[in-house]
Amino acid sequence: MSLSADLSGTKGAVHAHRPTGTAMAQDRGRPRVSRLGLILVAPALFLLSCFFLAPVVLTGVFAFTNMSTSTGIGAGEYVISPNLLDDLADAGLSEEVVTAISAETYEITPDGIEAARAGGVSADFLRDIEGLLLGDGFDTARGIETALRGLPSAPRSPRSLKLTAEFFGHSVLNQRFDSAQELTEALSLAVPDVDAGIRSEIVGASYTGAIYTTENFTYLATQPSTMRLVANTVIYVGATLSIFNVGLGLFLAITLFYMPKRVSSFYSTLWLLPRITPLVLYTIMWKWFTWEDGFLPLLAEQLGLPAFNYMKGSVITAWMTMISVNGFVGASFGLILFSGAIRAIPTQQLWASEVDGATRWQQIRRIILPQMRWPILFVVSYQTLSLLSSYESIWLTTNGGPGKTTTVWALEAFKTALSSYTGNLEYGLGAAMALVLVVVGLALSIIYLMAFKFGELVGRPRIEF
Amino acid sequence: MMTRNFSTIPFIIVITLISMPLMVMYGFLILDTFTDAPAGELWPDRFTLKHWRFLYDFSEVGNVWVATFNSLTLAVSMAVIVLSVSSTAAYAISRLHLPFRRFFLAGILVMHAFPAVTLLIGTFFVLNFSGLYNTMIGVILVKASLLLPFGIWIMKGFYDTVPWEIEMAGVQDGASRFTVWRRLILPQVKPGLVALGVFAFLDGWGEYLLPSILAPGSDMQVLSIFLNDLIAAERVGYDFNLFKSVGVFYTLPVVVLFVIFQNRLMNIFGGGTKG
Repeated sequence: MSLSADLSGTKGAVHAHRPTGTAMAQDRGRPRVSRLGLILVAPALFLLSCFFLAPVVLTGVFAFTNMSTSTGIGAGEYVISPNLLDDLADAGLSEEVVTAISAETYEITPDGIEAARAGGVSADFLRDIEGLLLGDGFDTARGIETALRGLPSAPRSPRSLKLTAEFFGHSVLNQRFDSAQELTEALSLAVPDVDAGIRSEIVGASYTGAIYTTENFTYLATQPSTMRLVANTVIYVGATLSIFNVGLGLFLAITLFYMPKRVSSFYSTLWLLPRITPLVLYTIMWKWFTWEDGFLPLLAEQLGLPAFNYMKGSVITAWMTMISVNGFVGASFGLILFSGAIRAIPTQQLWASEVDGATRWQQIRRIILPQMRWPILFVVSYQTLSLLSSYESIWLTTNGGPGKTTTVWALEAFKTALSSYTGNLEYGLGAAMALVLVVVGLALSIIYLMAFKFGELVGRPRIEF
Repeated sequence: MMTRNFSTIPFIIVITLISMPLMVMYGFLILDTFTDAPAGELWPDRFTLKHWRFLYDFSEVGNVWVATFNSLTLAVSMAVIVLSVSSTAAYAISRLHLPFRRFFLAGILVMHAFPAVTLLIGTFFVLNFSGLYNTMIGVILVKASLLLPFGIWIMKGFYDTVPWEIEMAGVQDGASRFTVWRRLILPQVKPGLVALGVFAFLDGWGEYLLPSILAPGSDMQVLSIFLNDLIAAERVGYDFNLFKSVGVFYTLPVVVLFVIFQNRLMNIFGGGTKG
């Protein structure tokens, strides 16, 4: 096919050979790209690259920066602050250089005069300054103040002289420079005799923007709280999965399978509710259920049991609440999936076993459970990923408390980067923590896809309600 | 459904006990919206409609209708974007020849299985750089994009089941592929479009995280934030009956849509959401 196309030389000839559609299979060597196809797929590609790929890349990049509220997002500036100068002096910068940098020089410029006018210095005085001193420079405050005092319309008080002088003051200190070059030039004017190495060191240290660093990861690796977070996450995912998503889900599915139709449809509907209720209302219901003056504490009080805010009052009850809040939704997911799988078992197998005198328990153990292996594996893998990464319901309920006892990895990453009480959001550290989840999530989802045809299970589940 | 060679009663009791928290929570959710209980008591002793005053009296909680309109805007625009983008892309993947088709398909699958919520921090950067931070448009675009892999995959499944012959017939009659898609194929996948549209709408309607993180200062307050702010602000004390009434108001459209589209939704609900 491709040979004949080359020989005939024209593209039109190739098209003439080709009945639409079926040609594709024969023509593996040189497939014809559908332009319509590219147009149709373009919006999806655009959105997915903007909001799926770009976030992955940016998470990866910013994980290696120290970006935070104080550095800002985007390009930073170069500022030598008094604090920085102190630090540099401690680090061994010579006394002369420090004083030279912090020293103020004065120059009478039109800009300074404008600033002084805006600052409320009298017009007569300014006219004198403009007429007599414009362009003059002074090395010390005393110098410029003496010169100002000599003017005919100078104010009496030394204080207003001093204030006027300040408008013409000039210092590298606390000035904002957009680029390293600008600061270097300013520095070479202020301290011309410092060697270039030290100067560039000062410039480097003065950068307020984010810099590339692997500190986030060394920090995570050395903090004891990291281990605590990992342990919390493992306990949370493990307990929720085993008790609720699989354990309770399977129990409900099997039991309801044997129930009379009316009973089973009532409970199926009831257990569907947590899944379709908007999360905010669902968490409010749990708050009502567990907070002081809520249902459980009131009930406990009447029974003479300890009554307090179970959601936040103690570590054990907070854990139980957190796992239940997610678990009831998870059990709902498990119930739907397992019910579908049980109903897919050919009824003849169950009838046959019954004819042979099998009890219900034998039926469940020998027929149903063995055929639940894949659905269980599916629920475990799918829900491990979503439990690992989801923090919304924890955020809205225990919020990781009391203290940080119920904080899991995903919640901590989110809080570090986007929702800190102290107001300093550490985007870089948060991105590093998120990157760990992204890598784990990516690896797990690819493994699942390869291990069992995830696509079929996810894409077209044969599940009916 | 099977012969009764065992007693179901003990199991019904066990299931009822396990389901008790749900029954209590949902039972009192409805009950509390139109009754009042004496302080410190569980059982209500009088009927009242005052918890529903928020519908016309905005002095206590703010204007609920504005928030409803905003939620509606979010959910509808999301459904429109997801439907239009995934119905076109899925057709191209299902029927047209594209370079890297397999690669793209595998990418869609990985993205679908991938927990998108971990991308929130990265998304925050993207919105910051593109100037869409703190805008509802940004939230809608992000939310819709996160649902796209699922939408494309579902729609591809529906396109795959449409017989080739329909398409061939259209092309034979001289229609362009685009016309064939619009006039002949789209009507065939209508069930898929309806299910995906409703699903996207519900997803947008229930969303809390994205608007609260990506548009915290936006003027467009959606119902989920409206509701959660009530309980966070402590403005009205812990008036759970009021919270529940607003919550029921917020959830009614979900229940209605779910009852109407129950069968179509269940097909995609099992694998669809993450949580």
